[in-house]
Amino acid sequence: MAQRYQNRIELLQGTLDLLILQTLQWGAQHGYGISQAIRANSGDILQVDTGSLYPALHRLERQKWISADWKLSENKQRVRVYRLTATGKKQLLSERSRWEQLSDAIAGVLSPAKREGQA
Amino acid sequence: MRFLWYRDRKRQELQQELQSHLELAAGDKRSRGEPATDAESSAHREFGNIALVEQVTRDQWGTRWLEEFLQDLRYAARMLRKNPGFALIAILTLALGIGANTAIFSVVYTVLLKALPYPQADRLVMVYEDVRLPNYQNKKNEPSPGNFSDWRSQNTVFESMAAYRNRSFNLSGEGEPVRVEGELVTSGFFTTLQIKAALGRVFVPQEDRPGNSHVIVISDSLWKSRFGSDLQVLGKKILLDGENYSIVGVMPPGFRFPDPDDQLWAPMGLSPAELSNRGSHFLLVFARLKPEITLARAQAEMNLLARHFTELYPDTNTGVSVNVLSLHDDIAGPVRPALLVLAVAVGLVLLIVCANVANLLMARASVRQREMAVRLALGAGRARIARQLLTESLLLSLLGCFLGLLLAQWGIGALKLLAASNLPRTDEFTLNAPVLIFSVTLSILVGIAFGAAPALQAGRASVHETLKSGGRESSSGSRLRMRGLLVILETALGAVIVIGAGLLLRSFLQIEHVPLGFQPQGVLSFRVIPRGERYSQPSQRAAFYQQVLERLDALPSVRSAAAVSFIPLTLARGSKGFTIEGRAPTAPGQIPMAGYNIVTPGYFGTMRINLLQGRDFSWSDAPQTQPVIMINEVMAKTYWPNEDPLGQRIRQGGPDDHELPWLTITGIVADVREFDPVTAPRPTMYFPIAQFAEPAGILRDWVVRTDDDPKAIAANLRGAVWDVDKDLPVTRIRTMDEVRSMSVASPRLNLLLFGLFAALALVLATIGIYGVTAYSVAQRTREIGIRIALGARRNDVLRLVIGQGARLALIGVVLGMIGAFALTRLMASMIYGVSAVDPLTFFAVAFLLAVVALTACYIPARRAMRVDPLVALRYE
Repeated sequence: MAQRYQNRIELLQGTLDLLILQTLQWGAQHGYGISQAIRANSGDILQVDTGSLYPALHRLERQKWISADWKLSENKQRVRVYRLTATGKKQLLSERSRWEQLSDAIAGVLSPAKREGQA
Repeated sequence: MRFLWYRDRKRQELQQELQSHLELAAGDKRSRGEPATDAESSAHREFGNIALVEQVTRDQWGTRWLEEFLQDLRYAARMLRKNPGFALIAILTLALGIGANTAIFSVVYTVLLKALPYPQADRLVMVYEDVRLPNYQNKKNEPSPGNFSDWRSQNTVFESMAAYRNRSFNLSGEGEPVRVEGELVTSGFFTTLQIKAALGRVFVPQEDRPGNSHVIVISDSLWKSRFGSDLQVLGKKILLDGENYSIVGVMPPGFRFPDPDDQLWAPMGLSPAELSNRGSHFLLVFARLKPEITLARAQAEMNLLARHFTELYPDTNTGVSVNVLSLHDDIAGPVRPALLVLAVAVGLVLLIVCANVANLLMARASVRQREMAVRLALGAGRARIARQLLTESLLLSLLGCFLGLLLAQWGIGALKLLAASNLPRTDEFTLNAPVLIFSVTLSILVGIAFGAAPALQAGRASVHETLKSGGRESSSGSRLRMRGLLVILETALGAVIVIGAGLLLRSFLQIEHVPLGFQPQGVLSFRVIPRGERYSQPSQRAAFYQQVLERLDALPSVRSAAAVSFIPLTLARGSKGFTIEGRAPTAPGQIPMAGYNIVTPGYFGTMRINLLQGRDFSWSDAPQTQPVIMINEVMAKTYWPNEDPLGQRIRQGGPDDHELPWLTITGIVADVREFDPVTAPRPTMYFPIAQFAEPAGILRDWVVRTDDDPKAIAANLRGAVWDVDKDLPVTRIRTMDEVRSMSVASPRLNLLLFGLFAALALVLATIGIYGVTAYSVAQRTREIGIRIALGARRNDVLRLVIGQGARLALIGVVLGMIGAFALTRLMASMIYGVSAVDPLTFFAVAFLLAVVALTACYIPARRAMRVDPLVALRYE
């Protein structure tokens, strides 16, 4: 447990939105499911705090990038399920390309020689 | 309400959503083999603070401010319910202040701000002669037909121009004869206004010619009342002054230009000869500016034209320029100063209300200080607390606004009745959207204004000090100082308003004591105008007057009766130029002018106008006898300063009007106030009716002096008139006392409104002084107890308390007098016979306020005097 908290990385401002949108790209999911998916896909490194997750979900819903419905889960439990909307899909694409630009830029800053060599 | 329901459902859903998260997490843990109880608690642990997650999630909804506002509102409503006495006084004071302001604003808005009800009304202008002669100045002189037709044909700045003159008609035929007010209008009258008939048509230019002009357009209300909204009314013939007119159009509802009483419009039909007359001035001219032409540009061009006409016609147009005035200013201008002063006064009343409610709130704030300290200690933000206090004051002011609107609705109704004769457009006074917006905005500002002081103070309160001092109130020193300042403000503003009211009262008393030159008591007046073919000859009219007067004289209790062109204290008046026999000819434009009235014999006796010299007219002054005239004292002194005017001869018109007869002056009478009590008498000539052959020689007003109550014979008047001609309507039956009272309606209304504001201001200031003194007495009970225990005499205590309140009141009164000194000069146009800084009024008001303030302090002071030292020391 202690180990896990040490490995935890604070998410950059705004990246949580990207992760949620990306997760919903693979299908509708409830809040708990989204947090589990992010955790699993990041190899247990990204832990999403509920105090960040739910405000983010409700904010994205208010921006009409995702929509929510009450559904019954496999074990017959009522859950609130989020899905990506059409504008959400567009938003995901633009957020992804922004993220890729950002990570390229950071990579370039971190290893400038490589970049020059390429040039 | 919908919002509340929606919000509750959304909250529930959020709770369910988070709950499902917990259950799913616990289920996962169980399926991984954790024991059920552990799974649940570790799921909880990992989740964190559920309430906090809920809160931060809800913040994303963007409705937090609304939530807090509703919470504050609920709290505020609860606080008001808990203090019904406080709430009632505060709301009632606010309602009076806001209601009075709303009612006055509806008048100010309608008269000064609202556009006139015509298309592009801002393009409409009045065009007057601006006369500046040594013996006559008038910026709004009625143009002569000659000037009107020249202006109309030669200007390039107006789209169109038209003229009108007021005319009443005897409408007879079916039913009782009635008189209806109307206008004679030139062609272009309706097209300049850009108003079309609702039914039928308006006049065509050919109808504005002699012989073609027996057509009329009627108002919507006459159409409804007299013709039962008959759609077949067009082409119908009606009898006006005994002549047939056919109806060609009905105007839309609400059209009432230029006078609210107007019921019909007929073509003026001036002949070419009349249209070139420059000697008589009886038209009112208005025009519509071309789209790109400014008022200044129009004025400049008209000035040029006027100069040109002065050169062309020096006899009539010397000293005559043109005054182009926007129609709106023409209507609103005369009442603007008084309305602005009233608006300022009622605004000051509202400031007093604010100060008073702030005072009440401060008193309450000291009681609630502990509550606030506890909330601060428990973590409430200072801004949040200030906001909550502001919500409370806004709730108060909006409740006050609601009640105030009801009062305003009633007040506007009262103003419509009271101001009908002295304010324009009273029929348009109403609580419309702009007035409502004004009222609500004002209430919000007021709420912020009186809520600010307590809110600021709550923000400053020290938690530690307040809680440490237990139930007692700390920082009361600064609060008392603040409340003292509010009392000073209230007293000062109150003094300004009461001084204003005092000046109006003094002025009104002056007006009431102006010698009118006649005795109104016991005289009844009424109006009968003999017009039509039956009365086209002067001799026919003279016969009619004589016959009716004989019948009136025969009525029981009637002493004497007479007829006159216009009774005194009414606004309609004519004037004429005249020439004195044997004097050097006057320069162009310098011909002497005098007002005139035509009278039957017995007029001066009936009105008790003193005959100073010579003899009164009699029926033996006839067309075939020597032409005679009487003049008033001012005329005698002005034109014959060192001579005896009796026996001198004068003639109407200028030196070249040789065809008119010389008139011998046979009598001089006392001066009479013609227009209203405050306008000084002007030189006036009196013509005997039997010798006055002009078509204008029609007497309208009749006066009857009785021994009893004049109202008692009102019923007999119609019989006497209808005995001679049963087609003539008898209208405007009023005692001369009523006429006098109407002539001072405007100063009376100003006085009434100011008096109301002043009374309100006095009451509020009294409450304020009382409140602060009572509060300070309550605060100092212990101190007073100690003083008494140490041997202070009761009188010393009384002096201590009264001295404190009196000091505040005194500072307030002095400041108020300084303020009034600066402000009352705005009232110069509203007062008569009194200086705007009348020392008597100023000191009387100061004395009055001092008495009121001392009384307000005396009650709490007596309570202080009776403090029992033992009780006081055990207090708390």
